[in-house]
Amino acid sequence: MGVIEIKNLTKNYGKARGIVNVNLTVEEGEVFGFIGPNGAGKSTTIRTLLGLIHPTTGTATIFGKSCRVAPEVRKDVGYLPSEVFYYDRMRVMDLLMYSASFYKKDCKRRIYELAEVMDLDLTKKIDNLSFGNKKKVGIVQGLLHEPKLIILDEPTSGLDPLMQQRFFDLIDQENKKGATVFFSSHILGEVQRLCHRVAFIKDGAIIQLEKVSTLQENNYKRIKLQARGPVTNELFKFEGVADLKVANNTATFIFKGNINPMMRTLATLDLENVSIVEPDLEEIFMQYYSKES
Amino acid sequence: MNMYRHELQSLRKATVIWTVAMIALAGLYFGIYSTVVKDAAGFTQILNSYPASVRAALGVSIANITSMMGYYAIIYTLIALCAAIQAMIYGTSILSKESRERTADFLLVKPVSRSAIVSAKLLASLSMLVLTDVVYFLAALVLAELVKGAAFSVEGFLLLNLTILFLQLIFLAIGLAISVFFARLKNVLPISLGVVLGFYILGALIATGDNGSARYLSPFRYFDAQYIIAHSSYELSYLWISTAIVAVGVGLSYIVYGRKDVHSVS
Repeated sequence: MGVIEIKNLTKNYGKARGIVNVNLTVEEGEVFGFIGPNGAGKSTTIRTLLGLIHPTTGTATIFGKSCRVAPEVRKDVGYLPSEVFYYDRMRVMDLLMYSASFYKKDCKRRIYELAEVMDLDLTKKIDNLSFGNKKKVGIVQGLLHEPKLIILDEPTSGLDPLMQQRFFDLIDQENKKGATVFFSSHILGEVQRLCHRVAFIKDGAIIQLEKVSTLQENNYKRIKLQARGPVTNELFKFEGVADLKVANNTATFIFKGNINPMMRTLATLDLENVSIVEPDLEEIFMQYYSKES
Repeated sequence: MNMYRHELQSLRKATVIWTVAMIALAGLYFGIYSTVVKDAAGFTQILNSYPASVRAALGVSIANITSMMGYYAIIYTLIALCAAIQAMIYGTSILSKESRERTADFLLVKPVSRSAIVSAKLLASLSMLVLTDVVYFLAALVLAELVKGAAFSVEGFLLLNLTILFLQLIFLAIGLAISVFFARLKNVLPISLGVVLGFYILGALIATGDNGSARYLSPFRYFDAQYIIAHSSYELSYLWISTAIVAVGVGLSYIVYGRKDVHSVS
């Protein structure tokens, strides 16, 4: 049984599209990436999973239970929303203790540890915190009860690169301790770094689900070449070429498929320079999307 | 318990302000009571020059205006209005503030049911309203004892003031029930004042129509001060309708809030 199981999940917002027939299983101990542009349905999926919104049809369960039917399953869940808002008049420590009071265990030591790592001042009023610092409160708040499932919705916005690094280290540590992580983002670099598997969502539907290693290792090459003579579009008109840009003597594109015919084509050219590299997920992703739309 | 304590904390300041304001308002009126008694004839004359409907709307009864209870009926009308506004604001804001202040994503993903959240918030509001009423009642009693000319019935005084709590329960329930139908209630003040003042004015308009069934239209006419003073009891049918309104309002709030979709802030 998966930690998260989403089956045929559909959510309609009146006439507007929410999500359509989403199916996902996240296994225990996995770091699962959920990728898509803004408005694709990432938050809708997560909010349905957490019981914040009702599915139109289908089910979304955590540890085998729906949050709507059994709200207590959320005791093992830590959630960091994309935008964090807390009770403005409270002090950071009071808010964190209030949060801890829902979990029936002593979280004080963990709060201090996390605040230390994230460099968060516990005595300040929430009202006086910058966006980035509020985000840190959110991170500590989401992790203080050592949840078995961590759900992150666009977690890094507002954090400076140093804090992003510390945050990823924290998530990595929690994962090594056994926590399952479900991570939504539109920044692919993040996902590439952390996740084992990744699902792409677009216009409310999952369009691809793959292992990050598969995505990176096998399929895709970013090819960039510079020839001594002019290069034409026709030369690269075969299956698997995407994002083709030809200008004068140079051409760049992403290639997916059997590399041999491609190499034979390249060999017919009088080349000045060529580079064949692993594209990052972002490029693969962009290519996939431009093909779809 | 943690949610209940948190909500009490959040209502503390408002409750202090409301209580002080209500006591101050009553104090102001009690302060001029001795003058009214001294110049009873002149005062009655002035009130007599008002149309009967205005007098009825203000809760004034010429017959016993100079008795402590008769005079207090005027104060009661104002205090009841304040108390109803307070209760309505608590009702409309206590659940809706989580969406308004965007803290729903914090509270509603905790391992507690929506019903438990409604219960904690309802109980906290109720506690604060009862506290307001108890403190107000004691202060009003002391003030009345200080300025009274002749003895008055403390029992009647209690019975009359208890209806302030009944009115508050009604408006708390109405406020809650209204608030759960909004995806995000941006500002609770216009709707709270609008509904309470609307019922108040409606009550004033039908005040002259004695015991007709029109009285059912406004909670402000459910508890008639003159009747309570004269009979030392309530009119049963209006207690029933009050109970029904509270039950329906609260029940509706649990059901609708339990099923509500909580959308993201952006």
